[in-house]
Amino acid sequence: MADIRDLHLRVPGVRQAWLAFLAAHGLSGFSDAEIASVDSVIGLYDGDRLVGTGAIAGNVLKFIAVDEGDTPGANFNQVVSELQSRLMLAGHSHMMVFTKPQYEASFGHVGFTTLAKTDVGVLLEAGMPGIKQYLTQLPGVGDQAAKHVAAIVMNANPFTRGHRYLVEKAAAENDIVDVFVVSTDRSLFTSAERMQLVQAGLADLKNVRVYPGGDYMVSYATFPAYFLKSGDDVIRYQTTLDARLFRNWVAPTLHITKRYVGEEPKSHTTAIYNDVLAQELPPAVQLIVVPRLTEAGTVVTATQVRQAIAEAQLATVKDFLPPTTWQFIQDHYAELLKRIEKGQNIRGN
Amino acid sequence: MEIKKTALAGTLESSDIQITLSPATAGGIQIDLDSAVASQYGDEIKKVITDTLTGFKIDNALVKAVDKGALDCVIKARTIAAAQRALEQTEPAWEVL
Repeated sequence: MADIRDLHLRVPGVRQAWLAFLAAHGLSGFSDAEIASVDSVIGLYDGDRLVGTGAIAGNVLKFIAVDEGDTPGANFNQVVSELQSRLMLAGHSHMMVFTKPQYEASFGHVGFTTLAKTDVGVLLEAGMPGIKQYLTQLPGVGDQAAKHVAAIVMNANPFTRGHRYLVEKAAAENDIVDVFVVSTDRSLFTSAERMQLVQAGLADLKNVRVYPGGDYMVSYATFPAYFLKSGDDVIRYQTTLDARLFRNWVAPTLHITKRYVGEEPKSHTTAIYNDVLAQELPPAVQLIVVPRLTEAGTVVTATQVRQAIAEAQLATVKDFLPPTTWQFIQDHYAELLKRIEKGQNIRGN
Repeated sequence: MEIKKTALAGTLESSDIQITLSPATAGGIQIDLDSAVASQYGDEIKKVITDTLTGFKIDNALVKAVDKGALDCVIKARTIAAAQRALEQTEPAWEVL
């Protein structure tokens, strides 16, 4: 019977042995930033020999690799089981894993549900509430079956008149617009602040509903490259998973037939994302790309707003912002600056 | 009794069963069972879980059970542990045992 031990990756010897074990199982090439983001790493030992490993980061299971022992699947099950117990103790009753296609069946045997898959990766979830519960418990979605429903997913960091323009267009062309605000908390404006500013900025549009995107829409689990600088191929397969999850689960459950996105002249990551959405969503969901709102010849972007905050040039972007967001930034200016000083990246998304 | 939070008990190792309980407002006790022997013993496993939860006077719950060949006594023990965690009870419920 193998036993579980904590692996402390700050110890160089431990880290090297762990990396070598992962490499021997075909897992390599992750950045130091990705390794640093894990909350705990465990090793499964048979005597002094490392026979399995796994890690947790937030509610995500990562870096899982095992040697097969005498009983097929036993080591794998023990590692996953330990990680699940740790996640539950940490208060994460819903968990996700992003893994290679050959492990899909192994995770299926221990109660995971496949959310989306591509040739190079699979995204699965376990625990509660699962995606069906998340979607059907959104308030007010019960009446969407017989209506024309469109969806928009936005980070809104912060909410600008550009976002508002996109929503207005969708609201005019459809019965209902579901706006999903990215829940992952890795942006200059916290997820609660972004949510609040989107709600405030859209309060007068009666056929618009604002929801948190949860773990399912551009979350750190489905699309880490949105938040971490990554190579193009990584971005491409992560966005494919995100797009398929939307197409296979979100759209059919909520009867969404259109998705609106802003044209993307500036952010490289988002440009790839739009491109992948255009490939993956039709014909089930129609993708509508809306040209960006321009203000006095400049494209309205949240990136520019964040830059203006950092450079104390707020007045230059006043015309980009609805009064609610403008007021919020005025009221919280000192705190936002403090976050930037502390190293919050403002150039990403 | 109302379940307060999602709770888990048990492992995925051989001869064990992993039980996850979460709150539901209606619909009774709904069990989603994964088991290699579901076709032979599925009904029996569900009955043990349902009876145990009924002993706690839990009327509505979502149950996810991943069975790895657990005996009835193990199923009962894991269900009790999950129920006590979900109900945030620290004292053993003697009448259920």
